[in-house]
Order: sequence, then C-alpha cells, then structure tokens
Amino acid sequence: MSGREARVWLPGSLDELWKIWSDAPDAVLYAGGTDLMVRRRKGGPLAGSDLICLERVADFREIREEGEEILIGAGCTIASLMDHPLVRQNFPVLTQAFKVLGSPPIRNMASIGGNICTASPAGDTLPPLYVMDALLELRRENGLRRIPIREFITGPGKTDLGPGEVLSGIRIPRLPRYNLHHYEKVGQRNALSISIAGLAAIARISAERTIEDIRLAWGSVGPTVVRSRNIEKALTGKPLSSESMEAAFPLVDRAVSPIDDLRANARYRRILARNLLLRLPFRGVHP
Amino acid sequence: MKRKTERQPCEAGRSMPRLDAYAKVTGKTRYASDFYAGDMVWAGVKRGGVPHATILSVETEEARAVEGVIAVLTAEDVTGTNRQGVVRKDQPVLADHRIRHRGDPVALVVAESRRALREAVDLIRIQVEPLRAVLDTDAALRDGAISIHEDHPGGNVLLEGTLETGEGEDAFAQCDAVVEAEFQVPMQEHAYLETEAGWSVLEGDGVLKIEASTQTPFRDRSEVAEAIGLPVDRVRVIAPYCGGAFGGKDGVTIQSLLGLAAMRVPGRPVKMWLDREESFLAGVKRHPARLRFRLGAKADGTLHALSADLDYDTGPYDHLGGVVTALGLEHAGGPYRIPNTRVRARSVYTNNPVGGAFRGFGVPQAAAGMEQVIDMLASKLGLSPVTMRLKNVVRRGDRNAIGVAVLSSTGIHECLEVLEGHPLWRDRRAWKDRCPPARKRGVGVACVMQAVGYGPKVPDVANAKIELTPEGAFRVYCGVVDMGQGNITTYLQIAGHVLSQDLTAMEPVLPDTDQTLPSGSASASRTTFTFGKALIRASKLLKRRILERATDLLMEEDPRNLDLVPGEVIHLTSGKRIPLSQIALILNREERFAVARYRAPVSRERPTDREDLRLHGIPHTVFSFGAHLAAVEVDELTGRIAVKKYLVISDCGRLINPRLFEQQVHGGVAQGLGYGLLEDMIVRDGKIMTGDFSTYIIPTALDVPNMVSLAVQMEEKSGPFGLKGAGEVAVDAPLPAVANAVADACGVRITRFPMTPERIMEQLERSGEPAP
Ligand SMILES: Cc1cc2nc3c(=O)[nH]c(=O)nc-3n(C[C@H](O)[C@H](O)[C@H](O)COP(=O)(O)OP(=O)(O)OC[C@H]3O[C@@H](n4cnc5c(N)ncnc54)[C@H](O)[C@@H]3O)c2cc1C
Repeated sequence: MSGREARVWLPGSLDELWKIWSDAPDAVLYAGGTDLMVRRRKGGPLAGSDLICLERVADFREIREEGEEILIGAGCTIASLMDHPLVRQNFPVLTQAFKVLGSPPIRNMASIGGNICTASPAGDTLPPLYVMDALLELRRENGLRRIPIREFITGPGKTDLGPGEVLSGIRIPRLPRYNLHHYEKVGQRNALSISIAGLAAIARISAERTIEDIRLAWGSVGPTVVRSRNIEKALTGKPLSSESMEAAFPLVDRAVSPIDDLRANARYRRILARNLLLRLPFRGVHP
Repeated sequence: MKRKTERQPCEAGRSMPRLDAYAKVTGKTRYASDFYAGDMVWAGVKRGGVPHATILSVETEEARAVEGVIAVLTAEDVTGTNRQGVVRKDQPVLADHRIRHRGDPVALVVAESRRALREAVDLIRIQVEPLRAVLDTDAALRDGAISIHEDHPGGNVLLEGTLETGEGEDAFAQCDAVVEAEFQVPMQEHAYLETEAGWSVLEGDGVLKIEASTQTPFRDRSEVAEAIGLPVDRVRVIAPYCGGAFGGKDGVTIQSLLGLAAMRVPGRPVKMWLDREESFLAGVKRHPARLRFRLGAKADGTLHALSADLDYDTGPYDHLGGVVTALGLEHAGGPYRIPNTRVRARSVYTNNPVGGAFRGFGVPQAAAGMEQVIDMLASKLGLSPVTMRLKNVVRRGDRNAIGVAVLSSTGIHECLEVLEGHPLWRDRRAWKDRCPPARKRGVGVACVMQAVGYGPKVPDVANAKIELTPEGAFRVYCGVVDMGQGNITTYLQIAGHVLSQDLTAMEPVLPDTDQTLPSGSASASRTTFTFGKALIRASKLLKRRILERATDLLMEEDPRNLDLVPGEVIHLTSGKRIPLSQIALILNREERFAVARYRAPVSRERPTDREDLRLHGIPHTVFSFGAHLAAVEVDELTGRIAVKKYLVISDCGRLINPRLFEQQVHGGVAQGLGYGLLEDMIVRDGKIMTGDFSTYIIPTALDVPNMVSLAVQMEEKSGPFGLKGAGEVAVDAPLPAVANAVADACGVRITRFPMTPERIMEQLERSGEPAP
C-alpha cells in the first residue's frame, strides 16, 4: 500500500490538460469516474494512481453541427445527451440506448467518451455508434486523428488509444434515410443493469414494408460489438417479417461468439442474439 | 389570553408521518456507523478464506509490527466461552482449531487507523490443514460425511422435526388427484443499507459500552458477556436507529469483537464497520432450501393429504437455523385445513455461508412449495386457484395442517373473498387478451400465513416504561429496536392515544440496556404486537395516576370528571385546565414513571411432545395472513418476466398506522419479488461468487410494480388495539404468486429459483418441443 495520497487535477482547458499531463505523465484520465472509480476500489495498480478529471475541459462538452455531421464532445454526460434536441432528432437509436444506461445518477455522471474508452462488450452506447459508423476524434498535444469506432475498439477493455492521447469527440453522420431506429438490451433488471445481450438496428423500410437497407450491431455476444455485413446483406430486399428474421438465424449463429459468465450462459446469449431480431417487425416505422 | 388552536391527539387507526422521517431524509439521523471521535481506533478481522480446515497456527508477528497496530488477538486471547449463538451456542467469536466457512473470523486487529488495520490484516498468515468441505445438504447427510461439529450428537443434522396428523401418507390412497413436485429456493442476502457496524468503549467504571446496529440489544448483552468473559452487568448495549436489518442483525455480528478490542484500549472508543464485500462474506443469509411436496385432494377439491420434506442449508452454525427450520415445518401446509399430513423439516450443517434469520424466517421457503403445488392440483382438477383455496383455507376454530386448532382471529377466507371480487382477478381474462405481441400474460395467486411471536416456551415478553417528564411531556422508553419499520413512531402513537397526547408532547428513548427495559428482539412479527400491549398498560397506569393527582389538586371527588388533553388535564365540569408540567411538579420521581409487562399468549395445543421442537417455537397461536395476486407479462423472445400489477390483501388485525403498515407490505413484496425473480446468491466451493451489488441483483424501483394493498381489519383480542404483526407476512407470497402467474401465462413451471430469464427461456424452448 503506497503511503502517498493520490493527487487529482481538474484542468479547465485542453492547454491546461497538456501541461498537467506532461508534468504527471503517469496520471490516469477520467471523466465521470463511474467505471474508473469502481475499478480503483477493487485495488490493483489503478488504486493509488494520480488522476486527471476531464469534467471541466469545456471543449469536451460541446455538441455542434458540422455540415452533414454532428460532433459530440467526449465529455458530454449521458443525461445531457439524452435531452439534447440535436441528438434526439438525429439519433433516436442512441437516445434509446441512453435511456437504459445505468440510472439517473449514473447518467448524470457518466460520459459518452468514458463508455467508449472502457470498451466493454456490454457498453450500451457502442452498438448504436457501430450501426451509425461513428468516427472518433483523438487528440494529442500536437495532433489530431480520426478513426472509425470499430477500428478503435480492439478487444474487451482494449482500444487503440495511444500514450498521451485523449478521445475528444465523436462524429456521427446524420442519417435521414433511416426510418426504423431500435435499441434493445436484455439485462438482469430494468435499471442499473449490465447488458447480457443487446441489439441496435437502423433500417430503411419501404411503404410495402420491404427492408431497403439495414444495419445491425450486437452487444455482449462477442469480445467486441458484432456487426455483420453478411446478415445485413441477406436481409436487404426482404420483407420486414418474422420469417425473414428467422431465415437469418444461421448467419447470426456464425457471427456471435458469446461466453458464460455469472449473468448468463453462452447458450442463452445465443438465443437472445437471434430472438432480438424478431422484435424488429413489431417496431414502429416512421414514414 | 388567546387560546392556541387545539392540538390533535394521536389516534390508533389514523395514519401519521414517521417521527424519524425528516431526520433520516436530511441525513441528520446518527446510525451506529456514523460514530467518529478524535481518539477513536479501528478494529477489523482476518477471515478464514477457506471453507473447511483445521487451524495449525496463526502467524501475527508481521501484523503486530505494522506501525499503528495496537493489538492482534486470536482465540487464545478470549477468556470467555468464545461461543455465540441463540439456541445452540456453536459459533466462535474467533475461530479456534477449525475454520468452518470462508467468512470465519480468525484474528482481530486493533489499530490507530483504517490503513494500518488493512495492512495488518493482510499480513496475518493462517496455516491450515484443509478438510473436505461439505458443500450441500446431500453431501452433509451422506454416510461417512465429515462432521462439521464433532460434539454435536446429531452429526450434520442440526435439527430434524417430523409432524404427523390423521392417517399421514396413507391417506394419499383415498385421494382422487395427487401432484408432486420438488423445488429449490436460493440463498438470499438481506442487503440492508447500513452494513454491520458499531463502536465500543471500556469506560472508567469498568463497564463495556457497545453501540451497535442490532435488532437484539438485550440478548446481545448476555451473549457478549458470556462469550468474552464479563459479568453481564459490566456490559451495556445501545441500539440507535438501525439502517435496515431484516433479520440479519438478529444476533451478534460485530459486538463481541468490538468488546474484545475495546478491552485492549481502555477509555478509547473502538469502531468496527464492515464494507459491503465483507458484509456479504460474513453476514447471515436466508437459508437455501430443497422442498419436496406431495399434495392430494378429493375430486371436489377438498384437500385430503400432504407430504412435505424441507431441507434447509444452515451453513456451519445454528445462528437461528433451528428455529427457522421449525417455523418452516409449522408453516409447510400453509393456511389450509388438511386432515392427513406428514411434514418433515431438517436444518443441515454445511460449509456454506451462515444461514440465519431473515424476514419470513423459514416461511417463504415453505410457501414457495405449498403455494405452487396447490395451484398444480387445482389445475389438475379443473378448478380455479381461487375456488380451490376458498374451499380449503382455515377458518377460526379449524385445525391447521399440523393439527393445531386456530383460535385467534383468522381472516384468510375474508382476504380471499376480497381478492375474488377485485377487478384484477375478476377482469383478468380481458387483461390477458390485451397482451402485446411476442408476450404472454398470466395472473397468479398465493395465500400465506405467518406466526406472530416466539412460540410456547421462550417467553415472548415486553416491558414498557413511560415517564411524565418534569416539563410535562411524555418520554416513552422503547425496548424494541426500530430498524426502519417505524415502530418507534407507532409506540408514541399508542401512548399518545391512551394519554390523549400529540407527537409534540412525546419523545422516545431508543433501546439501551441501561435505560429501557428488556423487551425481546425486533423480530418474529412481534415488535409492535408485544411491546405495544405492554405500553398500553404502562400508559394507562400513568394516566390514572395523573388524573388521580389532579383530582386531589382540584378537591374534586370523582376522577371521571377529569380527562387528559394534549399538554393538560381538563376538569370537565368547570372547564378548568391544569398544565401537565404542574402535575409533574407535584409528583415525586417514582410516581412520574410507570412500567408494565405483557407476555404474548401461547397455544395450549401439543402437536408434538418433543420438548426441543416446542423450544424451537412449535406451535404458535396468533397468525397473520395474506392473499396475493400477481399479474405478469412473459417476454417470449427473452424469457423476461415483468410484474405488471400486484395486489395484496392482508389480515394483520386492526391497523394502528395504516401508512406504516402499507410501507411494510410494499417492502415485503419488493423483497419477495427479488427473492422470486432476481436474487441469486451463487456459491461455489463455499465461496460467494456474487459478492457485491454488481453481480447480486436486487430489484430497483423500475422492477417493482405499483401495488394495491388492502387490509381486512379483523380485531385480534390479544394485540394492541386489535393488531397483529405485519413485518413479515408480505414477503412470503410473491415468489409463488409470480410462479403461478408465469404458469398461467405460458404453461411452464421452473423448479429452481429465482425465475431468471435464462431459466424461463430454457423451459419455454422445452415446452415448444414436440413431446418425446
Ligand atoms: C452503477 C453503474 C451502472 C452502470 N450501468 C451501465 C449501463 O447500463 N450501461 C453501460 O454501458 N455502462 C454502465 N455503467 C458503466 C459506466 O457508467 C459507463 O461506461 C460510462 O459511460 C463511463 O463513463 P465515465 O465518464 O464515468 O468514465 P470514467 O470512469 O471516467 O472513465 C472510464 C475509462 O475511460 C477513460 N476515459 C474517459 N474519458 C476519456 C477520454 N475522453 N479520453 C480518453 N480516455 C478516457 C478513463 O481513463 C477510464 O479508463 C455503469 C456503471 C455503474 C457504476
């Protein structure tokens, strides 16, 4: 047990962040701390580390339109995004995920950037961000790069975040074409619940209820979020019906690789991965 | 002078807000865990870490060397019996020779800071020789199984009881329909907000003062004294408001350890406070149980024969496992008339976490079995589950399933009638037909009873004390702990009713072995029942004394011409008023106090001649009842069960504070729904796998439906203002009510609880398969 108390910094701007970080390169970043503090409490190297809180970095809390894209600051809390008109209007699938993330106090603290950087296969914002092909902005003291979310997350708890790098924002294209937006998570209870399996879907459904275009992403049924072009292709052109979905089951079976844990066994997760598709035909479609 | 507006005296039967609510929601209430002082030191323990082993040595040198460590104690340092327990005292304060579960405390550290404490605890090494761990009741009962307590004559069977009535199992031959089922119900965690906590100080006069989060200050006092070797009058236990207990603090948790620690640092307060993980590891749990039921009826639905076997896993210690098991035995047949029964219950030692008291106390397990098989039988006979129950529930004067005549108020039939006429039952078909796609709806019911009080042998006694203070207020010396139920408020309401006072004229003294009088535990649905009755008596005595003295003062002849009003005595014929403070001045100290005792009634029936079963509580004489209805929606795609509506009709006698009563019902149902649907304490190799709230899932506000709570208010003559206990009965029924609703919705019945979506899905898939 280290004798020294951990230090905590609260930079107010990016410039301050870089300065602090160069003085204390071993300090660990956090935003809401809803993942980090839980891990710290369990001990290990994180338990005594110095901390830099991103909560007050104004640049990280912005939401703005940039042409056909919307840029969401990584430090925005889930609660603030849930109520934001730009997010609500453009990304209903994300809003649905926010509503089932944690609980009101957790949503007040938790940031979207933290959800991404934690890179849990069960992270609730991830399947929606995958179906929307979100692009992440990563900054270092003198550089900026952009990377698609599916390339950023490399494994359970693993990301491509480099040393001295911070996630500053998430770019999401407006997707006016899609008229079905769906997120469903199965957890052990209705709030404060880690996903056992989840499905995000956006689709273009014609007046005749034909699937003209569909994107699907599953959470908690593989080491990272599962998106399968095969399944999406197979469903395109098919009627939006239970039969079409059932026909895709063998492809789903191949795409997912769930595990057993205390929350559920792999068998049940497989059933869910398939069955969650069957909810889509019951979803409302906006003309 | 202008008169103040008249203050409204308390009245039994009228809801009033909790006395403690404001201070609690504003964070002002001080719980035992809130204690801090400048010279305070910390105590904590090193726990066994293995399920079963012989202790070879405990190495403490390194721990002692840590800066800030004051003392490290092991069993050798305990001068008392080093044994705790209520019936069988088989639990060491500090393990000597043997570790019997992973949470057993082996060494106690006293340190200047929490950090030094933690460091020292980590440095203690326990050398052990592992013993084969006994991990379930089957293994414990097997021939040649290793005995967890070598000195126990019953081997690994802590207590076994069998009761038979009529022709017993032979009567199945006369039944027209018989069903049989086996169920497994899980271990449940109390999950109180305040984990086990307290502080202690050895005072200058040699008295060991312990303030603890406890349900049982008076019993703790003698238990601690004996275990650590002090005369009982050298121990004082104080019980402030307790941050939840539900039975988990019915018995010593940290008290003896605190005492041992405090003796090492005379004059300095010592605090001990378990974190959540340690509370999970060390705290007692609801006993997991295996239930085998066989139930038979005549063609018209009249119950005729019951056979039941209940095996409770009590972990390595009695704690209250024997009494829990006996209550399960007594309640196995539910609130029904069944002429021929054979019921057996066993409490079995294992190396799993310790089983102990938990709201319902053995009855939720029994009801889980009985209330499902009766539904299965009704369905086999083509009867509605309500009709089936109406036909068979006990009425006053009937004999219950263990052959005991039910002589106290018995309102289960009335509860069921209300249920039958309620729209949630009457209109259930229409509700089920409005089911959304990919879901199935069902409605289920369950009927339960719960004994009130301790039973025939252990005296269920309370001693109330009330004081007219020199200022003219009333001080009620509450002998029974308020762990969140609100009984302290009810006590003041009771005294206020008798004395015609409002709450502003009264104050409570919380349980303290120096100040309040022995009144038993806050448990067994007796908290208001027994103490309330004693308090009525004490309040009446004091009232009479006050009125008599006022009579003298006014040179009046007839005390009936005087009465009490808030703050004053009023002379009815003249309208003259005397402030109570003036009466208080002319009474001497002894006269300002009144004390009274009440002993709850006991049954004279003898369903068994075994004295040990009578000691363990069989039979009781007062029962509360409840009829529950759950309306559920099962998601066919995920197996998730949503409880959409919930109805409870209770017979807990007359209500004193309907709002507090409703809170007990709501809390009981929420905890019962958690038991049935979510809470799965997974234990492997004696180790809790779901050791915190991220993996042990309790219901949130979004998992509990709005509930309708109704009460048939029949008077129970032996209870205060006609009341019966209400703290437990509501937890007994949710599991079977929901299970029956799920069966109604989709025809599946699972046998291992809780009803997780995974288990439901498995059954749904199986039921979809073509019959083999
Ligand atoms: C009770 C509870 C319930 C929860 N329920 C859910 C749930 O339902 N669904 C769900 O998905 N999650 C849930 N979580 C997890 C957590 O709340 C979310 O993952 C949340 O989005 C994390 O955000 P944060 O800002 O609190 O992250 P933090 O804890 O602050 O950080 C998490 C990790 O990301 C890193 N990090 C944070 N921001 C940045 C950044 N801008 N750049 C680089 N690295 C960064 C940190 O270093 C840390 O490693 C729950 C957590 C708790 C405690």
